Amino acid sequence: MRAVGGEQEPAAFERTVLRNASPYHYLKVYLQLESATTRLCAVELKQLIVSGLSSLFGEVGAALPFDLLKYDEEALTGILRVHSRGLVKLWSSLTLLGSYQNEACAFRVLQVSPFLLALSGNSRDLQLD
Amino acid sequence: MVRQKSRYLLCELNVSDRSRLLLLDDRAVREAVRATVARIHGDYGAALCSLRFSVKYLNAHTGIVFLRCPKNCYRLIWSALPFITSVENQGQKVPCFLNCLHVGGTIRTCQKFLIRYNTQQLHRMLPQCKSEEEKLQVRKAILNCSLIKRNEGGFEDEAESGEDDEE
Repeated sequence: MRAVGGEQEPAAFERTVLRNASPYHYLKVYLQLESATTRLCAVELKQLIVSGLSSLFGEVGAALPFDLLKYDEEALTGILRVHSRGLVKLWSSLTLLGSYQNEACAFRVLQVSPFLLALSGNSRDLQLD
Repeated sequence: MVRQKSRYLLCELNVSDRSRLLLLDDRAVREAVRATVARIHGDYGAALCSLRFSVKYLNAHTGIVFLRCPKNCYRLIWSALPFITSVENQGQKVPCFLNCLHVGGTIRTCQKFLIRYNTQQLHRMLPQCKSEEEKLQVRKAILNCSLIKRNEGGFEDEAESGEDDEE
């Protein structure tokens, strides 16, 4: 304790609370098809997801803005970006999407994160020598 | 279990041809709203809104409809109303549109609003009467309205015949 001479301002303390860390959420998805040889281009994949959204959530759901940021056609893996408010709708319609051109299909959601950088690494794929 | 709350949407059904309005019944309106909600909001919306959805009151002369919906999804139904273009009854399509006048928690508040709304409409339309005879006719018709003692909706008749005789 030292003697205080004159006015001393208390240390400024500011706390910022963010309910939502980031406005967007990023999903890494993998499309599993019945036949191993079918390939979709990026436009067809987006059309498939939009059709899934429209069957579950109607016209309003089909208008949900989402983006396909990266797409690997050989591996059928892609990264989707959606606003955080639309994450539940998008994820639930991916879950319930069952068929592509009379062929059974399934969307496997590998990773979801509010930060894109987090999708670059995955501890499941980690290989320890 | 505490009370299950609902919202009542007071809507007005506008048709271009008034005579065809008389064809509509509550089942036709219910099917039209349900089909539109399914188209706009998909399987999720259709399932969520069909729980306690019903048409509580339909007046074919004035085109007033009361829609009842659950409290947690009344906005979905409300947002689907502008997309209704026609109501089908026994194979006949009547082109119409629904616009929502009031949202209330109970039928009684909706009816109180309806009486106030009808008196406002009357005050607006009365100066537009072309001749003195018309004004006298309207006044006589309104004064002739009487509350018929029934179980419910006594004042519905008053509002209805008042609106009707202005035409």
